[in-house]
Formats: sequence, structure tokens, C-alpha cells
Amino acid sequence: MSRKKVTAAIAAAALLALTGCGANAGAPSAAGDDFPKKGKSIDLVVAFSSGGAVDTAARLVQPVLEKELGTNVEVINKPGAGGQIGYTQLTSAKPDGYTIGATGSPSVVVSPLDPARGAKYTRSSFQPLGRQVIDPAVIAVQPDSPYKTLKELLDAAKAKPKSMTASTTGLQTGEHFALAQIQETTGAEFAPVHFSEGASQATTAFLGKHVDILVANVSDVTDLTKQNKARVLGIMTAERSPSLPDVPTFKESGYEVEAGTARGYSAPAGLPDAVAKKLEAALQKAIEDPEVVKKMNDLGLQTSYLSGKDYETFWAGQESDFKKVLPMVQKKD
Amino acid sequence: MDTLNELLNGFAAALTWQNLIFAFLGCLLGTVIGVLPGIGPVAGVALLIPLTLNMDPTGSIIMLCAIFYGTAYGGTITSVLLNTPGEAASAITTIDGHAMTKMGKAGAALTIAAIGSFVGGTIATLGLVAAAKPLGELGLLVGPPEFFALMVVGISLLVALAGKSMVKALISGALGLLISMVGIDPVAGAPRFTFGMDRLLDGVSFVAVIVGVFGLSEILSYRKGESTVVHAPGFRSLLPTRNEWRRSAPSMARGTGIGFGLGLIPGMTGSVASLLSYGAEKKFSKHRNELGKGAVEGVAGPETANNAHANAALIPLFTLGIPASPTIAVLMGAFLQQGLTPGPTLFTEHSEIAWAIIASLFIGNLLLVLLNVPLVGLWTSILRVPAPILTALILLFMVIGAYTINFSVFDVFVMIGFGLLGLALRHLEIPLAPMVLTLVLGPLMERSLRESLEISQGDFSIFLNRPISAVLIGVGVLIICSPLLKLRKPKALMDDPET
Repeated sequence: MSRKKVTAAIAAAALLALTGCGANAGAPSAAGDDFPKKGKSIDLVVAFSSGGAVDTAARLVQPVLEKELGTNVEVINKPGAGGQIGYTQLTSAKPDGYTIGATGSPSVVVSPLDPARGAKYTRSSFQPLGRQVIDPAVIAVQPDSPYKTLKELLDAAKAKPKSMTASTTGLQTGEHFALAQIQETTGAEFAPVHFSEGASQATTAFLGKHVDILVANVSDVTDLTKQNKARVLGIMTAERSPSLPDVPTFKESGYEVEAGTARGYSAPAGLPDAVAKKLEAALQKAIEDPEVVKKMNDLGLQTSYLSGKDYETFWAGQESDFKKVLPMVQKKD
Repeated sequence: MDTLNELLNGFAAALTWQNLIFAFLGCLLGTVIGVLPGIGPVAGVALLIPLTLNMDPTGSIIMLCAIFYGTAYGGTITSVLLNTPGEAASAITTIDGHAMTKMGKAGAALTIAAIGSFVGGTIATLGLVAAAKPLGELGLLVGPPEFFALMVVGISLLVALAGKSMVKALISGALGLLISMVGIDPVAGAPRFTFGMDRLLDGVSFVAVIVGVFGLSEILSYRKGESTVVHAPGFRSLLPTRNEWRRSAPSMARGTGIGFGLGLIPGMTGSVASLLSYGAEKKFSKHRNELGKGAVEGVAGPETANNAHANAALIPLFTLGIPASPTIAVLMGAFLQQGLTPGPTLFTEHSEIAWAIIASLFIGNLLLVLLNVPLVGLWTSILRVPAPILTALILLFMVIGAYTINFSVFDVFVMIGFGLLGLALRHLEIPLAPMVLTLVLGPLMERSLRESLEISQGDFSIFLNRPISAVLIGVGVLIICSPLLKLRKPKALMDDPET
């Protein structure tokens, strides 16, 4: 190969790389009428590791969103610190519509409440765009565990506090709150192990029997139950879940515990109206898409859509609920 | 026998001309993605998923898998030729790979890397076929304490990487550890070492750091009159010598073992595999004293480990539905979008597709060799570009690479800053490899330490009470103490020309 040819090939590659960057670096438009610009992709920040429920939902919504908006939507995982890393990235992005994020509660609701965490955002840093699901919390034991009912398990934990380890997906996450609520209501105390990388790490540790109890959401355990790798003893919601019809609720077993997570999508606060409208409409289409709803069902997730405004009201309600139990999940040191 | 039948059916499906084209395209795209610094396998696969959405499930997954393990090879090319790793897992290959280039043996290095990748990838895939299920369960045995103990072994290899001065290696290792701590505390969620800068909340970008430390500092350290660019190799030097083959074989065997084993463990990445393999070469290779000066083992081991890891990492995904690394997780997203749920049900509900994908792994690994060995001549001809032009182009690629990680100018400055740091370290003769090692292992080590102590409720004996972690910690201690033991054998010392 001649020197000329090589030089030309490298120059062509460099050009290609440069044009690629140019397409991604265009200046945002203030009004947002031309949103989204052709060829400029939208980042969908997921504050949890891939493979967990939040990530899965985002990846199912993504293709419909791409079709509705007519541009690429990239799911970007920024796990760690119970969502705080990803939420920080989301809220510190420009409110131009090119960065949106999956927002799951309680993580997003709770992290700004505790000053020790040093979160740089509050509820008002987010602009809610729509809620997708509510996913109740469950408690599960190893399939060969001697505990066959919720009462047996909780009584054992009451008799010997902190004798059993229980997984959470990080400090002050939904699972951690659920454990606190169980302790508050029933007096049963487990030793929490925080897997800050997310549900897939927590599940792996449970499957390997490195933790005794799996605290998770319905969606995390639906498949495990089918494979007989986890025995779910109780679901923390008013009614039984269609995905786990045989599992009694905490209420049925005599405990008033309701816990779970809600998930939706938000942008950094301050989107131009036109951009917000377009994103909200596209998200509603994607969330309610029959194909997406079906796949979510397969994964044990019940779609429960709320518009941006209603999601915001729901969010505020959760915030005042969590403020009450917060001291129980704060790190004591 | 059932397995064999299903595998043969898989080959029948994977060998249709459409699927062959998809595998070929995947390998080609993967190589290109690997070559470009900054665009790693995660971004590469993620960017290309939209393209594959409307394809049939088998073809699209075949292509995405090929992109995934293709990048593991592509990253080698720039590591060897330009001392600039194309992706994180190839960072360690720069050391001996580029030294070989300076000796005019670039072609041999690339050929060995391609063959090593093939060996590692193919054996890992054989593992997937033979014993996917029990192997998947084996990975589960590694809980937080075992993971931590494994990291101890990794860090103990610092000693092996030490080179002339243990103190200097420790300084380098401590620097990497410090840098890895910048960002948000993974457990408590509070920012640390960010100096109030939002930009640092996500930590320092690993790719920007390694491109700076290895690539930029290399260019900056050229003195006047010293040619940046090495002489392009003649045709005959494209092929490794018989001696080089013989020396590579044991390294490839070790690399396969290390990469395969680590691939089974959820949370491990390809860069850990290649780093540990390099450490193992430094410890166990017959020619360990030549490592760092252009030893073929330093290319063969890590490159084999890297690809063995990439293919073995599919085992937890296929058998348990657990994405073991970020790239695999992106791949899992693609599975889900195609209506395939990874996990044991994959083999019962979509058996044909699962086996077609496995068959395609064999085909893809072979394609990669067929694609890359003949192209080695083409790649090395890059070295014929006049030095000033090539230097300018490398700088351009580095800036583009650093910028495209997050599309942020900040990362370009990070790259430049670490280039200067790398230059200073070279001046002080502080080795760069330990820093990269702790930079990769630091966060994993911290996370597993904290998880372990939560399991034991603060009791450190958990690391010694559990057999696997106790054995691993023992291995780590042995590695650290082994130089001391050697002092008792003056004869061995005399055999060793370096000491």
C-alpha cells in the first residue's frame, strides 16, 4: 500500500470522526420548536446498573421513544450511591431536552432529604415527565430455607435481631426503607447489606447464598420464583400482585406494611414548554405502547401511567411520607 | 449427545449467508471501534443497537456479540503501534506491544495478539458449550468476601509489576488508588476529593487517564532528534518467529485460564483480566525479566485473557440472566428488545436462537483471525507515515478520543493533565503499570470490602473463615513474600541475569 493511500485513509477516518462529533455538539435551541434536531441523540440517564428493573424498563421504552421523537435515544447507566450519581448527572445537564433520565422513588425522593449525603439537587431540580410503573416490595428467602411463612421468618428475626443478613440496593433505597418499615411495624430486625451497584448484584449475592434474605421488588423476583430459586414470603402492598398470585400480602399475614418503588422519567428542571410537551407526549406513547406494556408484564411490572403534572403531585406526596421514617435509615456513625 | 445435536443445528443456522455477513460486519465494526481511542465496547454496542432493532433476533444478536469481542482485538492495534490504547482492556498491552514495535516487530506482536484472541475466545466458547450451567453456578460462589480476596491477589501483583524499585511501584499504585477514589462515595453517597467540582462527581474518566498517561506522555517524552516513529517492519518480520510462537504458547494458556475464570464472575471487566494476566506473566513467565522491554509474553497473555474474558462473560448472561459487565448489560438490553429473556429459560424457550448465537461465537472468533492476520501488513504500514504527520495525527486522535467519552472538553484537559503526570513519572522512573492496576481494581476492592463487612457486621475474620477467600488471601500473601523466599536460593539468583 502506498504512502498516499494510507495518508488518505487516515485523513478520511479523521474527517469521519470529526463530523461524528459535530453532529453531537450542536448548540441547543432556546425555543425548542425544532426539537429534537435531526441526528442529535438524546441521552436517557439510568441511575442504576444495567439489568435491574429501572434499566430494563428504560430499554423497553427506548425504541418507541426513538420512533416518536425521530432521533436516537441512548440509555446511559450511571450506577452508584443509590442513584445519586446518575441523578446528579441528570440534574446538572442542560435543560434542553437532550438529557432525560429515569427517576425511581424512593431513591430520587430521599437522597436530597438527608444533608449528610451532600446531594446537589432537590425535588425542584427535576421536571417530571411521566410515571411508568409502581413496583411493590417483596421479601424472599432461599428455596431451602426452614421458614415457610412470613410469620415464621419475622418471629425468628424478632427472637434474634440482626442474625440474618438482608440485601438492599444501597443506603436509603426502596429496599432499605422497606426493611425499616418492617422493623418499625413488626419489631423484626435484619442486618442490611447494601449492594450499591444495584439489583443485579444483590440478586447475584442472594443466588450465591452470600446473603440470607432478598429484599427486592416484584419485578426482580418474578423470574427467580419461576425458576424456583427464591421463595417469596410476602408482598408489601394492599393487593396481591398478578405476577405472583400465590404470594400473600403483608396485610393478609397481619402486618400493616406497604412499601415499593415508583418509576418514571424526568428532565432537569427548566425545559422550554415546547420541548417538555414533545417529550411528555412521546413518553406517554412509549409507556402505553401495547407491546411495551406486554413486555413489562412479562417481567412482572404493572404499567401505571401518570402525566408529568400528576407524577409531580405523587412525588411530593411520597416526599412527605418518607420524611417521617427517614431517621430509621440514616447511617449511624 | 443432545448438546452436540443442538450445537450442530446452531451451526446450520449461523452459517446461512445472512448470518455470516452479520458476524463479519460485527467483527469489522468491532475492530474499528476498538481502534478508535475513547469509543469502548460499551458505547460501541450501544450506538449500534438501534441499527439492529429491525433485524431478525438471531442476526442482530450475532452481530452485536461480534462487535463486542471484536473490540477486544481492535484496541490492541493502536496499543501496539501507537502506544495509545483503543480501549481500557488493551492498556497493559501498550507496554510490551509498543516496545516490540520499536524493535521492528510490530507485525509479530499483532499476529500473536490475533492468534491469542482466537485461542482465548474459542476455548471460552467451548466452556460455554460444555458446562455452561455448572460454570454459571460456580461464578455465584464468588461473593463479596471472595471478590475482595481476588482483588487482594490482584493488588499483590503490584509486587510482581514492581520492576527495579518496590517503593516506586508502591508510589505508582497509591497514586492510582487515590485517583480512583475521586467521585461520589459508592455507599454513603457523599462526594469526596472533588474539590467542589461537579465535573469530578463521576470520578475521573479512566480512558482519558490511560490515554494521557500512556500515549500523550510517550509523545511528550521524545527528545529532539529522536524519532517518534519507529521503522516500519519488513515483510518477513510480520510473522512471528518460531521462538516467539514457542514463548507465546504458555502465556496464552495462562491468559485463557485467567480470562475464562474471571469472565464467570459477575462484576469483573476485561481490563481486570488483561491486567492480572500481565501480572501473572511477570510472575511466572520464563522470560519475565524481558517483560516491559518488548517480550512477546506481554502481548500474548493479556490479549488472550481479554478475549477469553469477553466470551466467558456471556456464560452468566446465558445461564443466569446476570449481566456480568457493563457491555454485557447493554447486550442484555438488546436481547430484551428482541423479546429474548436471558437466563436458563433462554435454552428452553428459544433454544434454536441460543445455540445459533453460540455457534456464531466460534465462527466470529475464526473470522476475526481471518480478517486481522492478513490485515496486519495494512495496519503496520501506518508506521510508514512520516513522523511529524503521524505524531500530529496521533495527537488529534487522542483529543478526539478523550472528547468523545462524554463529549466534554473537561476530559480533554484530564487527558492532558495526566499526560504531564505520566511524563513526570517517566522522568522519575516510576512504573506506570501499577497505577493502572489500582485505578481499575480500587473501586471494585472498596465496594467488595464494604459489602463483606456489612455481611459479617464488621468482623474482619470473614475473609479467613470462608475457604475460597482464605485460599485467595493466602495466594496473595505468597506472591508478596515470594521475593523474600528467593533470597534463600542464591543459585536461582545466579540464573537470573537481571538480578
